[in-house]
Amino acid sequence: MATGIGDPQCFKGKAGASKFKEGDRVRVKDLPDIFYTRTMTYTRGAVGTVTKLVYESPAAEDEAWDNTDNPEWFYSVVFKQKELWPEYPDLYANDTVETEFPERYLESA
Amino acid sequence: MSSSTREEVLRHLQTVGYLQPALHKQTHAPAPNAIDHTLWRAYTRPVHDIGGEADVPIQFEEKEEEQWELNTFATCECLAWRGVWNAEERRRRQNVDVGQTQYLGLPYYGRWLLTAARILVDKQYVTLTELINKLDEVKKRHEQNTAR
Repeated sequence: MATGIGDPQCFKGKAGASKFKEGDRVRVKDLPDIFYTRTMTYTRGAVGTVTKLVYESPAAEDEAWDNTDNPEWFYSVVFKQKELWPEYPDLYANDTVETEFPERYLESA
Repeated sequence: MSSSTREEVLRHLQTVGYLQPALHKQTHAPAPNAIDHTLWRAYTRPVHDIGGEADVPIQFEEKEEEQWELNTFATCECLAWRGVWNAEERRRRQNVDVGQTQYLGLPYYGRWLLTAARILVDKQYVTLTELINKLDEVKKRHEQNTAR
């Protein structure tokens, strides 16, 4: 049985102060997306609500080349489906989707 | 070279033709001004970011892992434990660096296995020459065993 401290727990306490808190409204930045990202295009430019600070970790853009120098906060953000998909049926207007972002992709909305 | 090798080569050349990405218009060697920002972004996007792309429904099928798939998973985890890659680098290589044709065209664990071989060559744990020679040796052994 593995007993070590795995990713992302091994970066706990290394990201410094968090920029956002639970309940904050945030917009996803549309940063250039060449080579690698885990920030889905369909969330970019959309506004959602921070539900939780989930963990500290290097962003995928760094970790995918084995660079762990700059851990940052990751946030779980919930969006109305209607905010993401313009043609989403009004009948299901309360449907949401929740996903995680590194801090660099978020700005106050 | 045996005629069966030529047959395989010619079949291969025909098959790769089927795999050409298609914009449903002629796209080979475009002039720079033929690629606007919209097309540039489409071509250079990480190909695993498929959320929201139009597609037809596919049949969901439960499938038990085969032995080679379990072996592939264990091999890739060992490569992580030994510091050859971390999970994010593995995902980048399996899901994005392979390119759209392989990402959509190969089975899930096929991409894992291909990528495990690739990183050993990229990081110079084995040379491509050694890998080719080993593949050739195993292929010949397999042909002998199945011929019996």
